[in-house]
Amino acid sequence: MNSNNIPKSNNQKNDSLGSVIYNAMVRNNHILVLGTAIAPVIVIANTLKNAAYLALTFSVITFFTMLLSSFIPQRVVYTVRVIIYIAIGSLVYVPTAIIISALFPQAIQNMGIYFPLLITNSFIIFHSDTMFLTEKKGRMILDLIFGIIGYDIIVLLFGLVREIFSTGEINGNVIALPMLFKAFYQPFGGFILLGIFAAVLRGILLLIKKISN
Amino acid sequence: MSFFFRMISISLTLIFVENTVFARAIDTSTLISVSRNRKNIFGFGICAVYFSVVTGFLGFFADNFLLESQILKEQAYIYQPFIYVAILGVVYIITLLILWKYFYKIFLRIKKFIHLSALNCAILGAMFLNAQNCTALSEYIFRGIGVGLGFAFAIYLTAIVYERLHDASVPYCFRGYPLTLLYIGILSMAFYGLASTPIKY
Repeated sequence: MNSNNIPKSNNQKNDSLGSVIYNAMVRNNHILVLGTAIAPVIVIANTLKNAAYLALTFSVITFFTMLLSSFIPQRVVYTVRVIIYIAIGSLVYVPTAIIISALFPQAIQNMGIYFPLLITNSFIIFHSDTMFLTEKKGRMILDLIFGIIGYDIIVLLFGLVREIFSTGEINGNVIALPMLFKAFYQPFGGFILLGIFAAVLRGILLLIKKISN
Repeated sequence: MSFFFRMISISLTLIFVENTVFARAIDTSTLISVSRNRKNIFGFGICAVYFSVVTGFLGFFADNFLLESQILKEQAYIYQPFIYVAILGVVYIITLLILWKYFYKIFLRIKKFIHLSALNCAILGAMFLNAQNCTALSEYIFRGIGVGLGFAFAIYLTAIVYERLHDASVPYCFRGYPLTLLYIGILSMAFYGLASTPIKY
């Protein structure tokens, strides 16, 4: 988690919907800026299909866990509250796993231990209090939804680029590439490619800032 | 003697070849966060080893219970996380209470990061990997030691270059987080070379 960039609670702000979306999805993107829940992205999102499985399961588990966690009183000390969040996550996981295994049996197999590990993702452990659960409910839900959408878009894009460069395919369909970078399929390739993605986004944000000035 | 060497080799494999962070990328987020402060690394490492060993020990009994129960056995993957989180939560809260009651000074020193060292994917992931790879109690314990030490080792390797990765001389686009990912990727590639066979995820 890139905690240098963690934005504090936005309780006092009255941002427009556009800026809420921009901040949650781009400026504070959970993967490329804040470094949230990047382990499954690095290991699992090596093809478009796996990326889609990850995006789906992450969205369901994180959204419902955070939503239910918002009902835990803030007066409970954080060191105890955080274990309650994870316990809620493990309860949300049960119906999610049952539904996913019925709809996409391959997803459980492809994601391996990274599927249940989503219940301790840093969205829930780190950002619950610093970003979400101290906000008003409506604003929290907006930030949460767009934060998750921002995460999912990057996961899908990352899976697509990784599949193209490492296997020369898009969702199993072969495309003609002069050469392949098979290392991108491995976790170390995932780290390196994600680092490049993060640098590219930072460059784009810098460019936008320069243009707007 | 062969038992002793086997257990040592399990731990060493978990530290170097199948390192939680470099081989499986588990808990990279925590690693990046904790590596900012070199002062806490030692305490964090001890806490991580403690939690991975104790939860591994208790996980052995939970796994045997799941294997023996006919109802749960077939759908263990659904109920495993809840059982593991319950174990982790109990160990975490009892540890906090003991420290608070009898070792208050230590409690004050580690309370800032104890939740990070206990409630993370590395510890929970170790329990899942133990269930897949271990049969004997000793294996659960030594794998726990290996995971905890391996995680602390990964944090140390990242912390020692923290200032360089965030140095003003690094181009802005790569400074900090992007460069940290590239650095971990290169380390991960080096550790990948130690494994003679592909690692199962």
